[in-house]
Amino acid sequence: MAKIVLENLGHSYLPNPKGEHDFALKPVNLTWQDGKTYALLGPSGCGKTTMLNIISGLVPPSHGRLLFDDQDVTKVPTSARNIAQVFQFPVIYSTKTVRQNLAFPLECRGMAPAKIKQRVAEVATLLDLDYALDMPARKLSADQKQLISLGRGLVREDVSAILLDEPLTVIDPQMKFMLRRKLREINRQTGMTMILVTHDQSEAMSFADEIVVMKDGLLQQSGTPEELFSRPQNDFVGYFIGSPPMNMITLEPNLGLLCTAALNLTKPLPLESNATVYQMGIRPEHIVMAAKETNSIGMGKIIKIEHLGVDGIVTLELPTGVVIKAKTRKHTEMNVGNTMGISVCDEDALLYIDGTLSSSSR
Amino acid sequence: MNKFYHTLKTIFLLGWSIFVVFPFLWALSTSFKDANAITSGATYIPWVDFEPSTQGWTSLFTTGSRGINIIGPFIDSAAVTLIASLVSLILGTLAAYGLSRFEYRLGFVKNADITFFFISQRIMPPIVLAIPFFLMLKELGALDTIFGLVLVYVALLLPIAVWVMTDFFAGIPKELDEMAMTDGCTPIGAFFRVILPNSVPGLVVAGMFCLIFGWNDFFFAFTLTFTETQLLPVSIVSLNSSVTPWWSLSAFALISVAPLALVAVVVERYMSRGTMSGAIR
Repeated sequence: MAKIVLENLGHSYLPNPKGEHDFALKPVNLTWQDGKTYALLGPSGCGKTTMLNIISGLVPPSHGRLLFDDQDVTKVPTSARNIAQVFQFPVIYSTKTVRQNLAFPLECRGMAPAKIKQRVAEVATLLDLDYALDMPARKLSADQKQLISLGRGLVREDVSAILLDEPLTVIDPQMKFMLRRKLREINRQTGMTMILVTHDQSEAMSFADEIVVMKDGLLQQSGTPEELFSRPQNDFVGYFIGSPPMNMITLEPNLGLLCTAALNLTKPLPLESNATVYQMGIRPEHIVMAAKETNSIGMGKIIKIEHLGVDGIVTLELPTGVVIKAKTRKHTEMNVGNTMGISVCDEDALLYIDGTLSSSSR
Repeated sequence: MNKFYHTLKTIFLLGWSIFVVFPFLWALSTSFKDANAITSGATYIPWVDFEPSTQGWTSLFTTGSRGINIIGPFIDSAAVTLIASLVSLILGTLAAYGLSRFEYRLGFVKNADITFFFISQRIMPPIVLAIPFFLMLKELGALDTIFGLVLVYVALLLPIAVWVMTDFFAGIPKELDEMAMTDGCTPIGAFFRVILPNSVPGLVVAGMFCLIFGWNDFFFAFTLTFTETQLLPVSIVSLNSSVTPWWSLSAFALISVAPLALVAVVVERYMSRGTMSGAIR
């Protein structure tokens, strides 16, 4: 187990990267603390897997350094790195039994057979795979195969971190939930650092102590799920985290204030700013609707109501034609065509200047 | 409908089986006939149509004017084919693994070009190679030896092995190698401990091809040997004289087909099982 530090680490698959866009992973500084669970979140092709493969050593980075517990491991080969990796599709040694699969990493390291037997038994118990130990691994279901992959990481006591590259993609929704809980449980029991790559925000939010959001090879924000939700650092994070995404309402500078005709909300215009786009970001969850106009900052007509069980998503059209979404539990009392009064706490309305959260909103 | 389809399939397969098996049955019955039974029109049932004779079979194990001894050529053929197939399979598998997993660049030549280079060895008709091979073996003093034939056959079989195995390795997910490496194997270790055990079906197919091509080759066995070394296909031809000994030829044909048929029966289960299914997904 170790603290993992990415020091100005970047990677380009091209031999001579010219500009920013030639990088699959733009140089980044990040620290993964020992024993925590992390999620690496972003759309497909954003460099998540590249970052993971650099940590595991499958891809040598073109720039920067990688440190495990302050030791430079940038050039250390995969086999000597003590990293376990679980891939998107269950990768198992199909000619071996479950027991042989779990024992393989220890055999590779030349551990004594008695010790191997003991470790395999321990891990099998942890993963509830005892009953399957002597079955051919290829006979197991997809989620059990993923458990084997995970188990091959867990049998090694010296593993620095377990990297999970979208391991739940091929798993049935019900099993997904179980596996995710299992992962958390294992993290708590063993104190093993886990890094989960995913493009599913709910997976990331429910799994990780800390989430790292990436886009186009560039780190967007890293923080706890609460931080990402309530204080997205830029419009992409606001859009990517949360469902439905954050409402972005364009503001116009006017007499030292930023305001919009749609809502009665203003923000002070930052001094000496030469930005071109000012936006107000409001989470759908933070919009309160009432039938009466009192205390409201604007009016909106309901044009659509989507039922999601307990919650509902209400789509409102503001007088200027701007469309926003609100998440509420009172959607059953509302009807399409109703006009609602809208109110938002001032601290929940965040100011974005050219797509980046303004320092006054932080 | 389903039943009708099933019946149709059975009839078709039965018909096809007869079509395939008939030449062998014919050869088998011919091998027990004597000259009379063969030249006096078609005969089918032993003891009724013709009197069986073992002359065809015994002539293959006697030397002199009454036949030839095929034990020597059989051993030569087996040795050349097995050694050449084994060497081709080992070299071809290693080359194919390298080509499927690592990037090579020799100037403008890349992996695909190297693979094509291997396969291109089989583009030209074998006769083009006859004289160069003859001269090369002569320089080496390897004409008319098992060693010389093995050398030539490896050159001919290697492209097949590389071709089949490259294709096979391309079908094995790279994640399996990566998994093995994160589990603590070196790249070479990953190949031997993880990839190779998973490659049995591919190795069987490649090995089959090598055995078939090696065992059946007549052309090089004929042009590169004289008296010391003789392979089966050549000695079968040497049986021909003014009177064609159909009985001996038939017996000989059956004997020379037998090893390959045996191999096919043994390895068939590996070929159809598809051991790879389930390594991923």
